[in-house]
Amino acid sequence: MSAINNTVDSQLAIHLESVGKRYKHFELKNVSLCIPKGTVAGLIGPNGAGKTTTMRILMGLVTPDHGTVRVLGQAISTNETAVKKEVGYFSDDMRLYKPESVSWHIQFVKSLFPSWDDEYADELTRRFGLIPEQSIKSLSHGQRVKTMLLLILARRPKLLILDEPTNGLDPVAKYEVHTEIMRVVKDEDRTILYSSHNTQDVEQICDSITFIDRGQVIASSDCSEFLAKWRRIKVVVPDGWHPPALDGLGLDSELNRYRVLTTSAYTEDVHELLNRSGAAIESVEALSLEEIFVQSVIRGRG
Amino acid sequence: MNLQAIKILFLKDLFLSRKYLFAYLVAGIACSFLACAPSKTLSFLGFILTITVAIASGIHLIGTLMLGESTDQTRLFIMSLPVSLLEYAIGKIAVVLTTYLIPWGTMLLLTTGLTFIMPDATRGAIIVVPAIYLFLLAGFSLQLITAVAFESVGATIAVMVGCNVLLNVFMMQLFAIPEVAEIVKGDAIVWPSSVVWIVFVELTIVVLSIAFAFAMQTRKRDLV
Repeated sequence: MSAINNTVDSQLAIHLESVGKRYKHFELKNVSLCIPKGTVAGLIGPNGAGKTTTMRILMGLVTPDHGTVRVLGQAISTNETAVKKEVGYFSDDMRLYKPESVSWHIQFVKSLFPSWDDEYADELTRRFGLIPEQSIKSLSHGQRVKTMLLLILARRPKLLILDEPTNGLDPVAKYEVHTEIMRVVKDEDRTILYSSHNTQDVEQICDSITFIDRGQVIASSDCSEFLAKWRRIKVVVPDGWHPPALDGLGLDSELNRYRVLTTSAYTEDVHELLNRSGAAIESVEALSLEEIFVQSVIRGRG
Repeated sequence: MNLQAIKILFLKDLFLSRKYLFAYLVAGIACSFLACAPSKTLSFLGFILTITVAIASGIHLIGTLMLGESTDQTRLFIMSLPVSLLEYAIGKIAVVLTTYLIPWGTMLLLTTGLTFIMPDATRGAIIVVPAIYLFLLAGFSLQLITAVAFESVGATIAVMVGCNVLLNVFMMQLFAIPEVAEIVKGDAIVWPSSVVWIVFVELTIVVLSIAFAFAMQTRKRDLV
């Protein structure tokens, strides 16, 4: 059994099992998450959903009250330093030393990472348009984010944990940051966990998505599976009509004889069931990831 | 434990505090010379300024090096690097102590040395110098514990104010000890048992405070 667990763990970059953390006004409740190596996973949730706490637990910055946390096959509680050597963590809350320059930070981080890639660091400096002599306090928000990404990427981490990296960035800076992340994605050995409350950011780069709300994972699946399973169905119904009992089917709105239904388990059978119930299907539309996210959150909140 | 990581963190903080360290060192040297001036007014002024430098440097260094990383959110950056909580705690407490002890030690040595050299100084006064300086160091250590435990500038300042008030009471009581009052007026350097005990108690407070601060820092479950 233990051998099987080890094999499973060796294929996972992130393995959270029933992880919980209680604060005065917030609780992370039994979060379980498995992210295979070489994939890009998105963690989407509204503000205060528990994305940052989950990521801080993964980095060993916050100790969970219960649960198992394994990163790159190692328990973070006992192998914090070894794990951090292989992980690049970015947080929107993270700050650099304001009076010091970009190059000072490069030298400082480089001194802690034998794997530091000077050539790549120079390339990123050029691509991001950073001036090494410039002090952090004179940088714009976008430049600060790029500097932090440079400090993370040039050490060639196996796992990137990015907590809202594009928050507050202008469209050009956001594009540059995404382009760089896409370059990293090309390397099949690298895993990325990317959190955001913006579904468009995540949709562009992620293979799988986990929705989190009020400290709980409410849905987790491949991006394509989410998009394939969710549909909005507009129907015309007779008097006294009730939606058929079907898993994942919910009534969104109604106007006169029109009903708008949303399903999270769309198959051809749904058509047949609706027809049998007396409803005439007017249209079936795919949902955007943002709509899926909103629906998941609303349903999760009951 | 990764000693190289501790060294890097230590040198990083030493570099970041270089300007303050230099300023406190220069101020401490100047005040120590002033404290040994022949004029009683200048000498008193120098003494007050020396104590002010010791107190101000302590609270400032704790504020910038210990609490600053938490309030500026640079700690999140540091703790995202391959550094354990233990290494962080050792590096941080070591650098805060070092940056304080450099001006503190310089002032202690200068005050002691100048009391020997200056023609008008009574050498017996040397016996109170370590007791007063160790009181300042003990106060600094208590502020360090407070900063580690509460991570609050307000609480640390409150302890600093308390220590400052107690310093005056302490000096009054110290000079009120009959044997001390007698020795400081003369040139003979005799260490009365009361002063030796005071120094011992102060050193114990310093050692225990630092050990306690270290233990608390390493036992924190959440560092950000």
